[in-house]
Amino acid sequence: MSELMKIRALATSGMEAQAARLRHVSENIANTDTPGYRRKTASFEDVVVDGRRTGEVQIGRVELDRTELTQIFDPGHPLADENGHYDGSNVDLVIEIADAREAQRSYEANLKMFDQARQMSSSLLELLRR
Amino acid sequence: MFEKLEIFQMAGAMARHAASRQALVAQNIANADTPGYKARSMATFAETYQDNAGRMELRATRAGHLMGSSSFSLTPHIIAGAGSESPNGNNVSLEGEMMKATEISGHHKRALAIYQSSLGILRTSLGRR
Repeated sequence: MSELMKIRALATSGMEAQAARLRHVSENIANTDTPGYRRKTASFEDVVVDGRRTGEVQIGRVELDRTELTQIFDPGHPLADENGHYDGSNVDLVIEIADAREAQRSYEANLKMFDQARQMSSSLLELLRR
Repeated sequence: MFEKLEIFQMAGAMARHAASRQALVAQNIANADTPGYKARSMATFAETYQDNAGRMELRATRAGHLMGSSSFSLTPHIIAGAGSESPNGNNVSLEGEMMKATEISGHHKRALAIYQSSLGILRTSLGRR
């Protein structure tokens, strides 16, 4: 039974991490047209408690993508320099959508595992009901 | 069958084994996008079970693991080169893990079915329904 509880904890940590990742993706997409915005990236890492890995996952520190900002030509823009360019964001929508898809897929897999563990423990309890 | 109730022990061990194997699958799935994570796996129940000269016995990794104590554990080993490795060094295959999860949950169901029907036989032999 404790293993089944562990499965649920693992699946929950996975879902939390994927949800946080999806949140960063949506922040990036929302700020595609914000001048000077750099896309946020965060990588996953193991949860370590008392020096031991629990097997759970968490989202790591948020970092900013260091690729060049796109130069957008718009002489009428208030932020435009003397050549008529201003700094756009470095968000690539295709990358963000692909990332969102992957996060969704992994989230669903974790949810499936949670459901599987729930079914296993309920059938275990079913034995007592006779 | 009823002297030591081995069938109950066996069904219990099978269910426990399924649960700990499932925990490993859950760990792999939770870490499906962690950079550098390597998938882990555990031997199947069939591989740990041996029909020893007609006697029903479970092969244990250490003496006293199964008989006497109720703990049933196997150390997980890291799969070498299973599945293709993605650029971030992760080699978890979500499809493969989902397949394994379904298989393991089938094993768990089977173990509980065996337990339940043996319990039914035992009840019937005691004269209760």
